[in-house]
Amino acid sequence: MSIDDETLMAFADGELPASERAAVEEALAHDETLVAKLAAHRSLGARLSSAFDGALGETTPQRLTDAAKPPRDAEIIAFAPRDKVRWSYREVGAMAASVAIGLVIGVGVMQRPQPMLVTSANGLTSNGALTSALNRQLASDEAGAVRIGLSFRAHDGAYCRTFDLTEGGASGVACHGETGWSVPLISRNASGGEIRTAGASAEVLNAVDRMIAGDPLDAEAERAARAGNWR
Amino acid sequence: MTSAAEQTRGDIVAMLPRLRRFARALTGSLADADDIVQIAVERALMRMDQYQDGTRLDSWLFSITRNAWIDEARSRTRRGKVFAPAEAGEHVGYGGDAEIHAKLEANDVWTAMRKLPADQREAVALVCVEGIAYREAAETLGVPIGTLTSRLARGRAALQAMLGEAK
Repeated sequence: MSIDDETLMAFADGELPASERAAVEEALAHDETLVAKLAAHRSLGARLSSAFDGALGETTPQRLTDAAKPPRDAEIIAFAPRDKVRWSYREVGAMAASVAIGLVIGVGVMQRPQPMLVTSANGLTSNGALTSALNRQLASDEAGAVRIGLSFRAHDGAYCRTFDLTEGGASGVACHGETGWSVPLISRNASGGEIRTAGASAEVLNAVDRMIAGDPLDAEAERAARAGNWR
Repeated sequence: MTSAAEQTRGDIVAMLPRLRRFARALTGSLADADDIVQIAVERALMRMDQYQDGTRLDSWLFSITRNAWIDEARSRTRRGKVFAPAEAGEHVGYGGDAEIHAKLEANDVWTAMRKLPADQREAVALVCVEGIAYREAAETLGVPIGTLTSRLARGRAALQAMLGEAK
């Protein structure tokens, strides 16, 4: 009997049911074309392995292991206890403002003309370069002073974005409201100016986890949200 | 952070070499591969609850990695950019003592993979590179098993034709 290509492929991959294997073996015993096809399958498999298996023996870049680990030195500045407190931007924002003064001053000194975070009646809000980045920068854009991470919709429908202050050693979440971007959470890395890659800290990710409705925006949705001024 | 979540983080770290291999097969680019692995790890950590529902960790991570690449590819298409250019001679992670022949050979394979249609490349990356069983590969890609095997067969035939192994 003749063996079709998909059957032979399944045989080569060890995916053929035992009941069908005998027929293939039988055909292989006297069909040289089939033997050659099987050899081609195996040769291709070996070439693919040797072309890509290099990744298994290499040292994994630090940025990837860091992405999977909670940052050791992260110092949480504002954090809503899980399950107990329903997330309130205003409340947590006020809390963040009260304890994040040091950060604001630090960042403010570094960015003398325009601090990136300011306290207002509505709690901590973005300013200067952070506001520009939140308004215009895409996750895929090259980071300047601010790196944008995930963008998503919160349960109340507001657009929120995670950000990293690349020189401030801090990351956080900002949500767009009527008066601009409020910053309900900011988390500082105790080691200071360490530059993290595309990094949302575990605290930020946990916050996103609580706030997010649905999935993060993909690149297309991110651009659409920007086009709509995050409203 | 629960200890189960910490365990999962450890499992994800242990999976990184395989994720990088898969991503290289998927993207045909060293730089793109590590970028989408990083995105995938960050997304995975945000959605750990889904994993705790009992999904296989490797299939789940492959699926997230693949979706990260789809998002990236889509955004590049919209921006009108071409995909990462061929990085001739830079693909292979072998040490300096590796033979030039092996590098050239691997480069040919990377180039051939980049030329495959995305759906065939995904099937080949999961089954031929990662050694995932048909059923799990089909589930990872969200397609019926017959669709997977047909993409796999077409992808293999195309690779054999490009790499000069067609008989």
